[in-house]
Amino acid sequence: MSVSLRRIGLIAARDYKTTITARGFLIGLLVMPVLVVALFVLIPRILTSRTPQVTGEVTVIDSSGKAMSELQHALVPAQILARRILETPQNPAPTAGRAAQPVPAGPPIAVLTVVPMSADADVQTRKSWLIQPRGATPQHLAIVVIQPDAVVRRAGSPAYGSYDLYTSSHLDAGTESTLRNSVRDALAAARLRTAGLDPTTIAASQQVFQPDAVVVAGDGEHTGSPGLARFLPFACGILIFIGVMTGGQILMTSTVEEKSNRVIEVLLAAVSPLELMYGKLLGGLALGLTMTAVYMVLSLYALAQYSLAGLLDPMLIVYLLAFYTVTYLVFGSLMLTIGSAVNQMAEAQSLMGPVLILLIASYTLTGVIGQAPNSSFSVAMSFIPPVNTFAMIARVASSSPPPAWQVWTTLLISCIAVLVVVWFAAKVFKIALLMHGKPPSLITLIKWARMA
Amino acid sequence: MTAALQIQGVRKTFGDKVAIESLDLTIPQGATYGLIGPSGAGKTTAIRMIMSILFPDRGSISVFGQGSALDAKDRIGYLPEERGSYRKMTVGAFLTYMGCLKGRTRAQAYGRADRMLGRLGLTDVNTKKCEDLSKGMLQRVQFVASIINEPELLILDEPFGGLDPVSVRLLKEVIAEEHERGATIIFSTHVMAHAEELCDQIVMIHQGRKVLDEPTSGLRRQYDARRILLEPLDLGANLLALQALAGVENVRLNDEGCEIRLLPGTDPGTAIRAITTLVAPARIELARIRLEDVFLRLVSESGGPGESQDALRTHLQGLSTTGAIS
Repeated sequence: MSVSLRRIGLIAARDYKTTITARGFLIGLLVMPVLVVALFVLIPRILTSRTPQVTGEVTVIDSSGKAMSELQHALVPAQILARRILETPQNPAPTAGRAAQPVPAGPPIAVLTVVPMSADADVQTRKSWLIQPRGATPQHLAIVVIQPDAVVRRAGSPAYGSYDLYTSSHLDAGTESTLRNSVRDALAAARLRTAGLDPTTIAASQQVFQPDAVVVAGDGEHTGSPGLARFLPFACGILIFIGVMTGGQILMTSTVEEKSNRVIEVLLAAVSPLELMYGKLLGGLALGLTMTAVYMVLSLYALAQYSLAGLLDPMLIVYLLAFYTVTYLVFGSLMLTIGSAVNQMAEAQSLMGPVLILLIASYTLTGVIGQAPNSSFSVAMSFIPPVNTFAMIARVASSSPPPAWQVWTTLLISCIAVLVVVWFAAKVFKIALLMHGKPPSLITLIKWARMA
Repeated sequence: MTAALQIQGVRKTFGDKVAIESLDLTIPQGATYGLIGPSGAGKTTAIRMIMSILFPDRGSISVFGQGSALDAKDRIGYLPEERGSYRKMTVGAFLTYMGCLKGRTRAQAYGRADRMLGRLGLTDVNTKKCEDLSKGMLQRVQFVASIINEPELLILDEPFGGLDPVSVRLLKEVIAEEHERGATIIFSTHVMAHAEELCDQIVMIHQGRKVLDEPTSGLRRQYDARRILLEPLDLGANLLALQALAGVENVRLNDEGCEIRLLPGTDPGTAIRAITTLVAPARIELARIRLEDVFLRLVSESGGPGESQDALRTHLQGLSTTGAIS
């Protein structure tokens, strides 16, 4: 009995064309990138653009008598902006002659006017100042009470005093955070100045700008990116996971539909069960690859926007596609088997449980393995199917990729796993296709495989 | 000439249930065979094994000299009992797809589909989705799918189920045309009248065993008639008096008159003459033997399991049973 590649191609093409042109699939394909863009780009921008600038007054009661000027300086908008720039991760090192540093994204800088009060002012009486209707101008935002020993320690005390903060119910969290950071910096500066030290010199001496690592390899040098190295294993894992889940689910659903529509026997009049199975697997593979390719192109475009696309090793894309293919064939075959064995999608849930657990567990490991790509655990996982493909792609995408022989060994082991799973799936598929009635258990599926 | 189908010593079981036992069958090319028997007799299982959808536990099946139907699928047309379609596909796309799977080019398949749809009174459905068709229309479309490749062997499993009389007539005509074209036809049914009308040869299956394999014409001679139907001229005539005639086994009254059953070996001509001397007939005829009667006689003569004749008759008229394999 020979298997006709032409028939396999026809089945694959029909499945692919039917699904790729379905409105539901196209929406599903676009939902993911739209969500990512919305979550990481649009929503922060919208939130920032819609946040009005906060303008208001802050009463300061300086019981220490030494922090008022520092606090007034720390609350100047220019100082708040300078602090925000310093707190931004990956800020570039200042270089002589370089243009002004870009302003980091975020809400508009608050304009906070200090209302100084004498050290003996009554806080309890002043609290009523904070109660005012929304929209009143000027807005009374907070009362800061600097404790007497906040700048100079009490004799015999190892610690400095702090401050008390009373806020209006209208004060937002961002402005409160700005206020707290300003008070912290003002108190630290006042303490240093009292101790005879220059706060500016000390602040400057504590700043060490983080350079991008230059990776020196046999093929030359290139600049690394710690953020990208952390993100890539996770991203590769999720690409494989989404592709396998989507392709596998479509495969399972279409098989269940063909069975419940009773079109299966019509098809079996024209093709053998094996041709049908291979055709469906191939169609699902093409769908998953299309989806993965779309996401990869979008990801590359996003990286290019941050000038990071050049940091990607082209072989990573090759490996990603190869590992996607073998992972899909293993999990897709299992899902196809389940689809052939049941009559309705609801019946598939119990059989899908173990497959989903295996898939999710494999994917979850990518984050862990990406952080420690050469640990014994990571290396061991790279050779145990079906986890090995996720483990290896996480290692390949990490900052310290494994030697090529390990990658190829993983691929070889995966190919053997594919042969075993497809063999099992083919056995069950032949028997299960015409079975109706009570959905089988996992043990029954194994029995069918032995019967075939 | 190579036989279209050759089955030798085939046995098939599902768990403890024996679906087919020691089946031998040879169908020459160009013949029309009726595979008949009550629902659950094993007809569909036999057909699925012929199509290599199921595989026998024992024995061999050869189609056009090939060891498996899988190697001759492009030469076979098959209309399964449980037939479906892709609901969201258009009729034209569905039939073209089936034609391509059967080794035809898109143009060939589309052209043949268009012609056959027209022949079956389904012009203008090419662009309609399968889900938009009525059940009867869809059945005709499914029939077209089975002959889209101009098969040399056409296997039809209960092709007339659920069809209206006009559609049944159209289908019968097309089946006859396919036969004239040279196709070998295997026709499975539990409605004996259809088999009598369409088939050269009848194969009866009961409880997985072949109980008859005879030409339709020979059956009538071999299983001679022993029933005489009488409609008296005088509606008040005493028909029960016929019971006393020599060679009469029994007399059953019915709305139109009576049915007289003869004892084995009685000459029907002598009996008819004797009857007409007692009762003047408006109509008297020797009833033609029906396949149903042959089947029932064979089953009872073989001393088969104690299923009553009434129950068998009911099965033969169309009640179905369900099993694990459908």
